[in-house]
Amino acid sequence: MLDRRRFLGDVGLGLGSIAFAHLLGRQGLLGANVAGKEPFRPAIDPGRPYAPRTPLFTPKAKNVLVIFCSGACSHLDTFDYKPELVRRHGQPMPGQERLVTFQGEQGALARSPWDFKPRGQSGKMISELVPHLAALADDLCFIHSMQGKTNTHGPGENFMSTGQTLDGFPSVGAWVSYALGSEDQSLPAYVAIPDPRGKPQNSVNNWAPGFLPAAFQGTDFNARNPIRNLAAPGSVDGRRDAATRAFLQRINEGHASRFPGDGELAARIASYELAARMQLAVPGVADLSTEPAHILRLYGADEGGSHILDTRAAYARNCILARRLVEKGVRFVQLFNGAYQTGGEGVSNWDGHKDLLNQYSVHGPVLDKPTAGLLIDLKQRGLLDETLVVWCTEFGRMPTFQKGSKGRDHNPSGFTCWLAGAGVRKGFSHGATDDFGYKAVQDVVTVHDFHATILHLLGLDHERLTYYHNGLERRLTDVHGEVVRPVLA
Amino acid sequence: MKRETTRLAARMIAFLARRAASALLASLLASQASGAETTAPHWAFQPVQRPAIPAIGGQPGTIVQPIDAFVQARLAREKIMPSPEAPRATLIRRISLVMLGVPPTPEEVAAFVQDPAPDAYERLVERVLEDPRMGERWARHWLDVVRFAESNGFETNRERLAAWRYRDYVIAAFNQDKPYDQFVREQVAGDALGAPVATGFLVGGPVDIVKSPDPALTAQQRADELDDMVATTGTAFLGLTLGCARCHTHKFDPITQSEYHGMVALLSGVQHGDRELPPAPQRVAQLADLDARIRALESGLAPHVARDPEAPSTQASNARPPVDFARNEDAFPPVEARYLRFTVLASSGGEPCIDELEAWTGERNVALASAGTVASASGTLPGHAIHQLAHINDGKVGNARSWISHEPGRGWVQLEFKKPERLQRVVWGRDREGSFKDRLPTRYRIDVALDTNRWQRVAGSADRAPFPGNSQRPATPTYDLAGLPAPEAEAARRDIAALDALRQERTRLAANDKAYAGTFSQPGETRRFHRGDPLQPREAVAPGTLSVFHPIALDAKTPEQERRLALARWLSSPTNPLTARVIVNRVWQHHFGTGIADTPNDLGRNGARPTHPDLLDWLASELVSEGWSLKQLHRRILLSATWRQSSAPRPEAQRVDAASRLLWRFPPRRLEAEAIRDSILAICGNLNPEPGGPGFYLHDVDRENVYHYHPKERFGPAESRRMVYAFKVRMEQDAIFGSFDCPDGSLVTPRRSASTTPLQALNLFNSRFVLDQSATFAARVERESGPAPADRVRRAWALAYQRAPDDAELRDATGFAEAHGTAALCRALLNSSELLFIP
Repeated sequence: MLDRRRFLGDVGLGLGSIAFAHLLGRQGLLGANVAGKEPFRPAIDPGRPYAPRTPLFTPKAKNVLVIFCSGACSHLDTFDYKPELVRRHGQPMPGQERLVTFQGEQGALARSPWDFKPRGQSGKMISELVPHLAALADDLCFIHSMQGKTNTHGPGENFMSTGQTLDGFPSVGAWVSYALGSEDQSLPAYVAIPDPRGKPQNSVNNWAPGFLPAAFQGTDFNARNPIRNLAAPGSVDGRRDAATRAFLQRINEGHASRFPGDGELAARIASYELAARMQLAVPGVADLSTEPAHILRLYGADEGGSHILDTRAAYARNCILARRLVEKGVRFVQLFNGAYQTGGEGVSNWDGHKDLLNQYSVHGPVLDKPTAGLLIDLKQRGLLDETLVVWCTEFGRMPTFQKGSKGRDHNPSGFTCWLAGAGVRKGFSHGATDDFGYKAVQDVVTVHDFHATILHLLGLDHERLTYYHNGLERRLTDVHGEVVRPVLA
Repeated sequence: MKRETTRLAARMIAFLARRAASALLASLLASQASGAETTAPHWAFQPVQRPAIPAIGGQPGTIVQPIDAFVQARLAREKIMPSPEAPRATLIRRISLVMLGVPPTPEEVAAFVQDPAPDAYERLVERVLEDPRMGERWARHWLDVVRFAESNGFETNRERLAAWRYRDYVIAAFNQDKPYDQFVREQVAGDALGAPVATGFLVGGPVDIVKSPDPALTAQQRADELDDMVATTGTAFLGLTLGCARCHTHKFDPITQSEYHGMVALLSGVQHGDRELPPAPQRVAQLADLDARIRALESGLAPHVARDPEAPSTQASNARPPVDFARNEDAFPPVEARYLRFTVLASSGGEPCIDELEAWTGERNVALASAGTVASASGTLPGHAIHQLAHINDGKVGNARSWISHEPGRGWVQLEFKKPERLQRVVWGRDREGSFKDRLPTRYRIDVALDTNRWQRVAGSADRAPFPGNSQRPATPTYDLAGLPAPEAEAARRDIAALDALRQERTRLAANDKAYAGTFSQPGETRRFHRGDPLQPREAVAPGTLSVFHPIALDAKTPEQERRLALARWLSSPTNPLTARVIVNRVWQHHFGTGIADTPNDLGRNGARPTHPDLLDWLASELVSEGWSLKQLHRRILLSATWRQSSAPRPEAQRVDAASRLLWRFPPRRLEAEAIRDSILAICGNLNPEPGGPGFYLHDVDRENVYHYHPKERFGPAESRRMVYAFKVRMEQDAIFGSFDCPDGSLVTPRRSASTTPLQALNLFNSRFVLDQSATFAARVERESGPAPADRVRRAWALAYQRAPDDAELRDATGFAEAHGTAALCRALLNSSELLFIP
């Protein structure tokens, strides 16, 4: 990457784009891109990998906030209202009497334990499990026809977070920060905020750089656990620390002067400067003590005393942190709700196989008020005009209960995600599942389409944003994906 | 569609060529333009023919190897001169970092710099090639290419405890200079070639072990496993993106979707998992000796083998129901007891599990820990937070609050009540929530006692109907010494202890004979999957290879091992045009930072054109004719003037070739994650040189259903071995060095990025690891130099950079060390660019 940049810079063509350098060594260059379009490979200044970069066309959104419900949040108990499920409660699903899904055989159709009510101007039917989010229905843009292609959590989380079911591919956030850099030069371009209960099922794969340069990986921290190695242990004297940094810079500059024009050495010096700025800036942005009481109350961060309220308050603090990062111009923030660290299936995440009523009676309240508070707060600060909020999960759940159980099995055939904020329609619903909410049947949206739409809102063409790896000009959307135009404002 | 884009590409290249300002660029583009529309066979698919060595009149002394003639002929076309030889101190630092992955010691540098012999460098090369650290360094490169890691990946990410043997195999292969063709063959069919560990290559990739009754998911998982094997075989050995033909005929290379499935058929008998290895002769003898001693002790103890009075009754008429997974009740006439023991004598499979053991008087369950009852057990399966002895009487049922014995088929739990209790019944279960149907105690006995010398059986499985499923007895007998005279009982106890020790030793010795090298079975028919979808099988495909060069085609009934042997021979054939070119290109890349073709996993039509095609072919042809010796290839490269050039930049050359692809200098570059950590440990005097064996852990591991890995904060000598010996976990990176573009083995990584990030800076500057290393580095410097601050600076410079500081550096560093201490100086050096770069 660096060599090519230098090469071009020095031959003085003034093309200034790695995309062009890339042509040099390759045959059949455009064939690699099935869309027949010229690859867009951002020019990255190694000294400033997070410098803001211009997208391909005028973007609707400047940054992205993803809220990821790990464990597969049921669409049928939240946002996808199916009256037929109420009517046929206790009956077998017609035509699917012998269906075998992830954990085995299916029992009867099961209505949601929570009632649905019309909300807002749009009258959107949303369940009582998430009343605070329901009150914002007029701001949300639902996609009810999401379709995945795997029914296991690991591959499912990979698919939603990276566009591939296998491990090892770059996450959406890595692609976006690779393409666009960031607005703030003292914070990472891409931050992942794990749930207070632990990491999601597929752990750091959800914010991995894959084959993209490590500069574009998500930096993970939350309101409870700071960035690792952000500061030296307390035993190190602050003045000595500063003096050491200054001395290091002098020897690095001396070394670099023996290799004039070496971008990589300049980048190393710059990286220490950025690190020093981060060391100062991150504690400030992560310090929530300056948040006034009414804001803490808005998110539910001020209540505790029970397992649910304590967990909700911890997640709420992560939501406040997310807003503060967005406020600072961090390009991509990925906020997790649900973890697989403890307890396993359904206990600390949305994987409600056995006991949907009791498990979701915890997860619903933990998610609902803080997430709604986050949306309200973004809106009242004007941040929703330039931020795209994405609510997603790895797949949906079955309209039936599992045989011999009171919970729902995995269902990648149809599920719901929603968007809000910059560039998307408000109070709008796109696509639909069948009468029972089993399969997406109308205006099906694949995960690739979903990703293409996110990139589009950022001013990026998913068919052109590429990175060469292992013999292929790789894209976030592989060889698939179409922008979901009807959801655009 | 394809023709369309190709023509478009040609037009675009021609356009660029017209605009190109530099002669080099124009010539490169011209060669592209001419190549774009031609239908001639692709260069890499043509047989390797030994090109003539260019005759070139270089400067006297600059051409020492044929390599130099090829390189300088190319440079001459651009009118660029090669660079002079680097100073000796630079050469030895460079050769140590490139070949061994750690810097030389100041003493090695001094000896080499002062060596008056004319062949000092040649002898250094030989020494380095014989250094066992060479295999450790170069194995790491190969492990990237074959996506090696020691956990399964995906959500469970469990460990593969016997995977390290493949890593050691690769290290040994490079150190022993195993001929490369043999190395290739063994990795595909080593079980047939006396190298059974080598097939760890085939199953080195991630695998999803979350299985389901859903047939669509199962088919997809298997198709993904086989695709990983086929695609990795293609990229690693052939530099071909075979995986692209999974769903459709390859867009650039002559690989049809049927041929892809023919390759699948060659490997479709391979499954993930550990395989028992044939033990080495020495181990066979050791095992035989152990077996003899075990038999002798067993026959001496035979009279004391406990009878099995708890065999369930086969007379169904009056028998109690068989044991049940959820709940069992054993009632008996009231009995006064201070102790109760539940002894498992057989299980439905594996180590038996009990979720809760209740002991009832009339109204009260007196077993509860909350009532003051203390539980003990024969042992508990280690490593599972949900399976604890404390769960046996915590009043909570279900698998997540259960106890599991440490031994298959047996184990006991004992309760000691606070005071004697009048017991009437015992209630127990495996999983009262009904989810788990395994690990059920199928034969058991319940004894009670007032003091632990006089046990009394009160219930058991003898009067139950037999358990309808499998019932596994423990592999070794249980002994009953009750009623023996004290001296005899004592002797028997000693023998039992000795027997246990021997059995453990045998288990350990035998366990070593396992490797994560896959298992093999005769596969069924392979069908072509339409659009790569396993739910759309089409016609049957017989095992076979690509038709583009010397294809093999096998009968659909060919035995499993023969399939892989045929593939192995085809891959390693000297007439295979790709195999030698691909490995030569990889070796070149790890010497110079970039391959002769800079797409090391794709020499197909969509790959990069080599900068020196003749040199690549000449080296490939030499490799084959010199018995596929990689050490000889290294020797040729290391002895070349090209390799020995200075890395100093020269503006006139940079203007033409800023990336140094034409090798007018040795291109300097950053070290990789592992070499940085190893170098820091070596410089600080803490590198533990112990080779081989199971890896050390950079993480603490939570072994729940889903494994979690938490970075360790403190490291001792065990964790100070070379990083190639770190237990390689997928997804979770080393907390400090992972940020240096260290791949996690989820995907093949033919070439690492070398990015620069603020997290790297934070990790090196602030981590406890580097601060601890700085302290020991400082102690070493103070120990090994005079007390004068300037001497300390000189010693620190020698250890870190293998050179003396210049005057300005000496002044600055001395002043700094005087003000802030040697440790602060050392911390700065460990963070410095010079330390991280191959000069």
